Amino acid sequence: MSYYQRNPEFTSRRQQNWSRNQNTVAFVSSVKLGPVAHTVLVALMITVLGLIYLTQATRATSYDYESQKIDSQIADLSTQKTDLEIENARLTALETVKKSTVAATLQAPSNTQFVGE
Amino acid sequence: MKLELQKGSRSRILAGLLFAIVGIFIIRLFYLQVIQHDYYVALANSEQVKLLTLPAKRGVIYALDGSTPVQLVLNQTVYKVIADPYTTTDDKKIVDVVRRIAGGNARANIESLLDNKESRYAILATKVSRAQAEKIKEEGLAGIIFREQTQRVYPEGSLAAQTLGFVDFEGAGKYGIEGGLNDRLIGKEGLLKTVTDVSSIPLTIGDRNINRPAVDGENIVLSIDRNVQSHAEQALDAGLKRTGATQGSAIVMDPQTGKIIAMANLPTYSPAEFNKVQDGALFNNPIVSVPYEAASVIKTLTLSTGIEKGVIGLNSTYVNTDSITVDDRVISNATKGQTGTITFQHGFTWSLNTSTVTIAERLGDGQKVTRQARDTMYDFFVNKFGMGRFTGVEVSGEAAGTVVPPENVEGNAVRYSNMSFGQGMNVTMVQVASAFCSIVNGGQYYKPTVIAGKVDSSGTYIPNDNPEPIRRTISANTSEQMRIANQTSRALFDAKYDLKGFTIGGKTGTSQVIENGVYSQDESIGSYIGFGGDDTPRYVIMIQLSGKDKKLQGERDAMPVFTDISNWLLDYYKIQPKM
Repeated sequence: MSYYQRNPEFTSRRQQNWSRNQNTVAFVSSVKLGPVAHTVLVALMITVLGLIYLTQATRATSYDYESQKIDSQIADLSTQKTDLEIENARLTALETVKKSTVAATLQAPSNTQFVGE
Repeated sequence: MKLELQKGSRSRILAGLLFAIVGIFIIRLFYLQVIQHDYYVALANSEQVKLLTLPAKRGVIYALDGSTPVQLVLNQTVYKVIADPYTTTDDKKIVDVVRRIAGGNARANIESLLDNKESRYAILATKVSRAQAEKIKEEGLAGIIFREQTQRVYPEGSLAAQTLGFVDFEGAGKYGIEGGLNDRLIGKEGLLKTVTDVSSIPLTIGDRNINRPAVDGENIVLSIDRNVQSHAEQALDAGLKRTGATQGSAIVMDPQTGKIIAMANLPTYSPAEFNKVQDGALFNNPIVSVPYEAASVIKTLTLSTGIEKGVIGLNSTYVNTDSITVDDRVISNATKGQTGTITFQHGFTWSLNTSTVTIAERLGDGQKVTRQARDTMYDFFVNKFGMGRFTGVEVSGEAAGTVVPPENVEGNAVRYSNMSFGQGMNVTMVQVASAFCSIVNGGQYYKPTVIAGKVDSSGTYIPNDNPEPIRRTISANTSEQMRIANQTSRALFDAKYDLKGFTIGGKTGTSQVIENGVYSQDESIGSYIGFGGDDTPRYVIMIQLSGKDKKLQGERDAMPVFTDISNWLLDYYKIQPKM
């Protein structure tokens, strides 16, 4: 019989004073971990935590690249918008309008009549 | 069993060696990380932390098309094509591609630039558009980079060039609105201080980042109506060709608000090619920056002063002998023959110098242009009508002109007699036009302005509030009489050219030019100022034509330009005639 196995007849001191809702049985693992295993486990935990930290830090940086990409797209679209505005302004400029085929066919009014409001 | 290394054993020596190495590492790390901490942090920051300037967009300048803003000056992103000849491989292809796509923007000596392999920086083309830059990029040329830059674009060409000014290669506004309102147009640069990667992409790591966004410049809407401006330039150009004048200016104002609707000057220049201008004087806007003796158009001010002070009326009379003596000088009329007892209206219509000198005398004791008369004239001319004072118009380079005060020795009776018909004082066209606006609008002086409002970042036009008059020059009754005086003056000679059914009045001016301290007999400047509209004056136009060794006259040369613009404006404003 293991030292840790309880004898059904054994009556612990806690049991002697038990009251409601108190554990009266304690589980004890049969697996024993030595100091080396503990060290390895701690090292593994530290490694995992480090990896988690690194992934989070890298993720923040990846957002920066994403943000930069979007900023670049905005700047590009803004430039395109400005180019279109310039083209529009050139096409509607007075000199362009005067030289247009539509303007060439216009005639000065021979008579103007004013209508009272 | 107790583990213990034996003394002198190799394991013990190895352990000792390891402890020593670790010790050295620890000491070295302590030195680097603790003692040299600040140095290495600074070194890292200089490598990783970038201080970037975020450029602010210069404000766009709009003109009006009726009541709608239209872009007159915009910003365009263009590119410089730069080669690193040390790293370029296919120079023949680079030359071919850049010449084919950049066209006239490519440098003429691309081959020699690329041949210089010791150079690491050669500009192959400038002002390349985005579309052109994209096409060059698609060719995948090694050793070619693009540098972005912004330039001002003028879709209307040289329209209103002297009012607009230009932006120099350092990005500073010069002359015109660009110079006068540079602080409002330029905006405020932003700042980005951040850790970047090797490609200079900003990263959010670090706790000392600064991100202060740029504030773009204000988008300004001018009161200049591009249609009126265009017609004024066209009419002025026709006037120059007709008269042989080499310089001309025209200003159109709204007398009810002081807003400048057009400011045309010839010769002019293209603001997009300001660097090609040989004569720097072309950059000036003579309407605001070149004072001159405006001659007989100033008689409107003298007549207003006389009526306002109650010393004359339009129908009051005086005896005209075609000359008048002031101290030791004899002042004569340019137009002879209207002698005898005549009204001041008659004297104004025929532009007789004796009539205004007589008004000056009557402002004193009736016999001489006394100190009291001179004080009154100075008060009206300078303090009320704003002659010889900055008007505050937003165009840069405004000149104040000169009006000699009566307390000066030079401010004597002869000078003030001359001033009564526009000689002996230098004034700008914008001063005279603004004063004339107040003379015909009921007596309210508005500060002349070229600003109508602004366009916000969402593209909405926000007009300025209607301006308030800043002072009263003359009473409404005097103003009414002055409208009649100007109408009568125009009716006698020029009404036949006007569209019928409208209220139009004006005054001529022919200025002698001073050369080497004396008035030249071979050169004169022609001016005309007038108003038009229905019962309410809707516009004021002032014209000036000049030329080296040209004898130009107000009536013969400047007046037709006024008529051209005036008749066009009556149609443009859709003013209904009284039948």
